[in-house]
Amino acid sequence: MATLGTSAVSTPTAQAIYRRRRRGNGILLTFSFAATIFGLAWLVLILAALLYNGFSGLSLSVFTETTPPPGSAGGLLNAIVGSLIMTVAGVLIGTPIGILAGTYMSEYGRHNQLTTVVRFINDILLAAPSIVIGLFVYEVVVAPMGHFSAFAGAIALAILVIPVVVRTTEDMLNLVPNTLREAASALGLPRSIVIRNIAYKAAMSGIVTGVLLAIARVSGETAPLLFTALNNQFWSTNLNGPMSSLPVTIFQFALSPYPDWQKLAWSGALLITITVLALNIVARAFLSPRTSK
Amino acid sequence: MTQTATTQNGLAEKVSIRNLKFFYGQNLALKSINLPLYEKKVTAFIGPSGCGKSTLLRILNRMYDLYPKQHAEGEVLFDGGNILNPGQDLNLLRARIGMVFQKPTPFPMSIYDNIAFGVRLYENLGKAEMDARVESALTRAALWNEVKNKLTASGLSLSGGQQQRLCIARTIAVRPEVVLMDEPCSALDPISTAKIEELIDELTADYTIAIVTHNMQQAARVSDYTAFMYLGELIEFDETQKIFTAPSDKRTQDYITGRFG
Amino acid sequence: MSEHTVSRYDDELKDIARRIAEMGGMAERLVDHAVTALTRLDTTIANSVISDDKRLDLLQRECEEQAILIIARRQPMAMDLREVIGALRISNDLERIGDLAKNIAKRVIALDGQFQSKRFMTGVEHMAELSLAQLKDVLDAYALRDVKQAFEVWKRDAEIDQMYTSLFRELLTYMMEDPRNITFCTHLLFCAKNIERIGDHTTNIAETIQYAVTGELLPDERPKHDDSSITTVPYETT
Repeated sequence: MATLGTSAVSTPTAQAIYRRRRRGNGILLTFSFAATIFGLAWLVLILAALLYNGFSGLSLSVFTETTPPPGSAGGLLNAIVGSLIMTVAGVLIGTPIGILAGTYMSEYGRHNQLTTVVRFINDILLAAPSIVIGLFVYEVVVAPMGHFSAFAGAIALAILVIPVVVRTTEDMLNLVPNTLREAASALGLPRSIVIRNIAYKAAMSGIVTGVLLAIARVSGETAPLLFTALNNQFWSTNLNGPMSSLPVTIFQFALSPYPDWQKLAWSGALLITITVLALNIVARAFLSPRTSK
Repeated sequence: MTQTATTQNGLAEKVSIRNLKFFYGQNLALKSINLPLYEKKVTAFIGPSGCGKSTLLRILNRMYDLYPKQHAEGEVLFDGGNILNPGQDLNLLRARIGMVFQKPTPFPMSIYDNIAFGVRLYENLGKAEMDARVESALTRAALWNEVKNKLTASGLSLSGGQQQRLCIARTIAVRPEVVLMDEPCSALDPISTAKIEELIDELTADYTIAIVTHNMQQAARVSDYTAFMYLGELIEFDETQKIFTAPSDKRTQDYITGRFG
Repeated sequence: MSEHTVSRYDDELKDIARRIAEMGGMAERLVDHAVTALTRLDTTIANSVISDDKRLDLLQRECEEQAILIIARRQPMAMDLREVIGALRISNDLERIGDLAKNIAKRVIALDGQFQSKRFMTGVEHMAELSLAQLKDVLDAYALRDVKQAFEVWKRDAEIDQMYTSLFRELLTYMMEDPRNITFCTHLLFCAKNIERIGDHTTNIAETIQYAVTGELLPDERPKHDDSSITTVPYETT
């Protein structure tokens, strides 16, 4: 401590080291910047193509008419409605299961082995390719029933929703400070009330965000629906039969040789993108610290 | 049920800790503690970090039950019964032995509901009665004048000192017999601290209080009895006046005079 | 004793103890000089005692300030608290001892040219010796934090009290023998009283040492043998 008087930074060696560090810093910064630009460029290009091709085909008929046979005019109404039905059904099935599982993991089984195992499996499920889920539901639902159905599609989407909701619910409940639970317990409140009235309340915005993100994720899924709900050229709200959906319709139309189908595919893609974007923005708004009322 | 042991100094023991041991897993965290909490007196627990004072406090309302691999042996007699018994109803116990924590922890709800919430669980009060209960708790916690016009505002909108007083109001609203305080002022500025100390003084009229504090002057100011703990042992327990002017044990002396380590 | 975590605190406590030691030495010297001035009726020494007392007063004020600062800054507890409070009280006693020595010196100046007889002095001189020894012992006891020695001093004060009572009687007798002695003997009586008061302050210091070291107070009643307030000498015309 005696050398505090003469600053170590002023010696020539120190200056040389400092200059070398600055140079290294500059080089790395340049690389990082270039990589960012490279990554962002593709995103911009994709969005630009999507906007350019999608907007030109966007008209009122897209929302009011069903998918046309090749060569005639039409819209995406049945696909939009089908997507909505299956997404809502999938979320309605998956969310309660996910929240309950997440609650168990965070509130009751935080320290036990089962939770560790479930968390591990859930993480695998979270990363599993959606086509595998599609195949699975095909095997356990479609094959025994003998036909494709919107119901099977909803189940496939639910299976995709569950791991996302489980994860966010657990994480968000874990973020609720233990002191809050202790404070509630110290008043003599039973566990169930502590969870329902305190922990959920404190974690609410996070859990809602998780559900919104799960919706955003499944609303663009194609592969699982291909194996389960298949597709439907016509208007149908029958859960027990094949149903049209936006992603599968886009898939089919985009690969077709007909220009007006391709045009509709672009519009559908734009719709999905805007929906996902909107959901993400809403989710972000939920997560941002709320100003006190 | 309210018979309490009376000791030679004529004070009733509200809580008697007998031969208490506490384990975190295999680790012995408290070694045979024997200690009374006298009725309507303030008992302060002091000692360096990790000496077991907070652990001891959290045994008194069985808070440790929230966590696995922790267990206590020995006896903690409260109104004649051993609260460490496996059959003890924890929620009932915690309603009778309240606790205030180091960090203010208002619930994410309105100021009014923060207080009414715990009360509703054990009592069916009408609107008017509940209003009166909330007002009296807030008044006792010296917070009423500051919040009476914004009872519907979120408890989180209050300042730190106000939040802590809200937590104290919440605790006394359920009318416990013993109030445990775990460093209640460590996150507060001196003025808020003074208000809480004043509050503790007033509460002794009705409550038995145990307070853990790192602030020795605070212990000297607010308590009637002081327990000095070190490395999981109770080194010295005596009247506060004795502990802070002429303690008997050298370790107590070293700690309170700042000669430790 | 082990040291404080904050070493400045140790320095401050040492500093205040050093000041007390300095004050003690000075008070001792003042008493010694005052008694010398008295026995030799030397006004030069008496004057120096009067001016030196100012220095003691100043030291006392510094000591007090230092103690107040420590209390404000460190909020001392237990032995430290007793140490600081002890220093505060001892500095007060030493300052009073200085004042009493000054009072003796003033009387020496008043007595200038009134010399009567050497024989009057012997009692006072003897008493002063004992009182000085007591003061010295108590200061040693403070320096060594020696409770036993302090207790000895505390007990021995009875002797001074007894001497004062007999001196009182003696001086009254002189005054009755010859009224011309009255002025001189009265002053001498006050000087003796001052010395007796010095003894009292010395025992106060002994009590303070006991408290600072052990935290216990000595019993309220000190063995008192100052019976001068009830002492009379029958007037006989011869």
